[in-house]
Amino acid sequence: MDAKQREIADKIKKILVENLRLPEEDLTDDAKLFGDDIGLDSVDSLEIIAGIDQEFGVSMMGVDREHFQTIETLSKYVMDNLD
Amino acid sequence: MERIVITGLGLTCAIGGSADECFDNALAGVVGIKEVVSVEHEKCYAHIGAEYPEFVTPKGEDRASALAIKAADEAIKDAKLDVAKEADRVGVILGSCVGGAVTIEKFYRDYTADPAKASGEDVLKMPISAIANNVAHRFGACGVIDNVANACAAGTMSVAMAADLIRSGKADAVIAGGSDPMSSLAYSGFHALHALDDEPCRPFNRSKGIALGEGAGILIVEGYEHAKKRGAKIYCEILGSGVSCDAHHITAPSPTGEGMQSAMERSLEHSGIAASDVDYINAHGTGTPLNDSSELGAMLRVFGTDGKVSASSTKSMVGHCLGAAGSVEAVFCVKAIERGIVPPTVGYTEEDEAAMREKAGEFDFVPNKGKARKVEYVQSNNYAFGGNNASIIYAKEDAPRKLTGDDGERVFITGIGVVSPMGNTVSAYAENVNAKAAPSICEKCGDAVSTVGADDFAGVGIKLNFYRKLDKLSQMTCVSGKLALADAGIEVTEENATKIGIIAGTSDGPQTDIANFQKGIIANGTQSGSAFLFPNTVYNAAPGYLSISAGVKGYNVTCSNGAASGLAAVGYSSRVLRTTQNDVILAVGADEDSDTVHMLYEKLGAFDAGMKLSDGAITLVLEKESSANKRGAKKYAEVLGSGSARSDVEFGKFGDGETLKKAIGIALEESGVTAEDIGLVMTCSNGVKSLAKAESEALIGFEGAEKVSVKDICGEGRAASSALEAAHAALMLSGKVGKTAATYALAISASAGGTFNAVVLKKA
Repeated sequence: MDAKQREIADKIKKILVENLRLPEEDLTDDAKLFGDDIGLDSVDSLEIIAGIDQEFGVSMMGVDREHFQTIETLSKYVMDNLD
Repeated sequence: MERIVITGLGLTCAIGGSADECFDNALAGVVGIKEVVSVEHEKCYAHIGAEYPEFVTPKGEDRASALAIKAADEAIKDAKLDVAKEADRVGVILGSCVGGAVTIEKFYRDYTADPAKASGEDVLKMPISAIANNVAHRFGACGVIDNVANACAAGTMSVAMAADLIRSGKADAVIAGGSDPMSSLAYSGFHALHALDDEPCRPFNRSKGIALGEGAGILIVEGYEHAKKRGAKIYCEILGSGVSCDAHHITAPSPTGEGMQSAMERSLEHSGIAASDVDYINAHGTGTPLNDSSELGAMLRVFGTDGKVSASSTKSMVGHCLGAAGSVEAVFCVKAIERGIVPPTVGYTEEDEAAMREKAGEFDFVPNKGKARKVEYVQSNNYAFGGNNASIIYAKEDAPRKLTGDDGERVFITGIGVVSPMGNTVSAYAENVNAKAAPSICEKCGDAVSTVGADDFAGVGIKLNFYRKLDKLSQMTCVSGKLALADAGIEVTEENATKIGIIAGTSDGPQTDIANFQKGIIANGTQSGSAFLFPNTVYNAAPGYLSISAGVKGYNVTCSNGAASGLAAVGYSSRVLRTTQNDVILAVGADEDSDTVHMLYEKLGAFDAGMKLSDGAITLVLEKESSANKRGAKKYAEVLGSGSARSDVEFGKFGDGETLKKAIGIALEESGVTAEDIGLVMTCSNGVKSLAKAESEALIGFEGAEKVSVKDICGEGRAASSALEAAHAALMLSGKVGKTAATYALAISASAGGTFNAVVLKKA
């Protein structure tokens, strides 16, 4: 992860901690957000989409599920789609 | 058993300002869904809703109460009911989802600009509690007052509860129904969940989402004999009702539609009629893909595809009026019976109709225009966040039926769950009280507060990915409810899950997450509401989360009428146990404290008046004698009777001693005991002078009884305190706390708005 992606990933982590009341220590870059690790659901994904849209101006509505897997995949998608 | 009739109607919604105007427009397929004017929506993906801007909220009032008063005025005049003449026997039971949301937005806009600017007068207009009290005060009703806070199922539940109250002899007539305004809170919340359709909603058809609506529907629900005696016009009868819970997800219905089906079947069974008797169904039909597919599946399984029954969603015209929906739809059902014509579902093209035939055979959705037909029996269905399902049957006067009556069973307290400033678990509470320990105190605000931590959740088997979503009210409720089930020794299984219900009472609901959500919209716009927080803003979220974590699928109703709500839930639960298929009801009283809640009470001047705020969640497992005996359960105490009465005061004030005496008298009479029999009184004074005066006046005659105040022990926890009174009394009667020789205990509680509740318990 380069410095730019690191910065995005940290901001996404902050969104997850603040908006979804997740414990920071559980949020490693490769923790499976929707799997057994963290256990997010569809309402949480809407909150992530809204948070990323607001923070980065990147819309992830309708974006393929694979980009939502981890903080790493989310931050990569955001980096690749920043204006 | 008492027959229940409807003698008056009042309705205001997007398609009109009276019951007749709305029904005529509905038959003609008039759609009231237009660009929204009262909520800012520029950056939203959807811009429409079903408002009634012709009605301007009178200055100084909140829109939820104002809409309810307008419709109640129409209904009372229509019924020619002289409320003041028999005030003590007229109740008010109203449903709402967002309550004073319009004032909530104003308050937090003021507060964000300058905390000093936000007014205590506005705080009194925010809670759902205010609505029934404001209606009662306007028309002088002094019987049983309550608000049903089960989000989108509240309107139907309130009518069912009104009928049950009259059947149990607690009222002669009830002003029943529901009210909800268009609000930024609801608009932003459903927008965040992507549940709004950007075009007028098309239930069961395109099913792309809801159109949010507003309105109030009021019905005068009356005992048949009472109505006949005063020569009232009778529109129709109310037969049975059915309430169930999915225990599946906090916002989404179970895709199987199993809970919906169970509510439909229960209402038929309670009424003693067959599915084939039903002529018309007013479906919930919100227009969301999840609701429509689950509900259609359930309807087809119960009613078949032969097209004999007609079913429509009037939300296609009036939008989704949330807590008012069931009451708006009730008025349409009553009108359909009166006139022999059913309202349509609009928005169907010929192409759509062909597609629907593929999906549902000959099932009749009454496309586009009203349809004249035989209308003898009608079922109205509503479902809500929290997985709550409600169904009710309306029938033509004298239509054959065989209603299930009161089985007269005794009801016992067989388990207690405590989350309190004096410890969590019943044994920790008892130990701390017996040791005269001090309650835990919030360092910042000085209030006695409950704390729920990772250990508490682990102790009741709730995992982090579940409890992280919960606000404090829900956290306390889930832990308390699960502790109570464990204390009762009840393991929830597939067999007993549908026989275990929840009746929750709360004074203020989830005010903290309501504030968090509303402040987010104020800062960032309607388009940026939090999908995560929105489910927590409804009052029935906490018991909804409890039903999911405990897996209980029976009755599920949330009531909100001030601090007495916890004790009111105990009385209400015993009635429900005797008239439904439930064996066990978890009667919960819960209220939260937080920076937000402390600030709201400060604005009200509560601390200057002498109140010491606290919080908690108390659950009493109420169980039928047959069920308790069958499993050899321990019994803390027996619930003998309950009573309620209201002084005609403004919302925010307490009632007088004479009224409290009335409430006590009703409870004693039902229990078959006298004041001299009572050896223990759980008092409700909370530092406020007027309440202390009322209490001392009402307790003349109880000099021989020991007096115990749970508020002296751990503060004014509102609904938690009033439920704790019953729990504490049960602990004393069973010898777990203190030493008492009492056989009978009386618990009394008071709510702002003038209502008093009383419950009598007996040593088991």
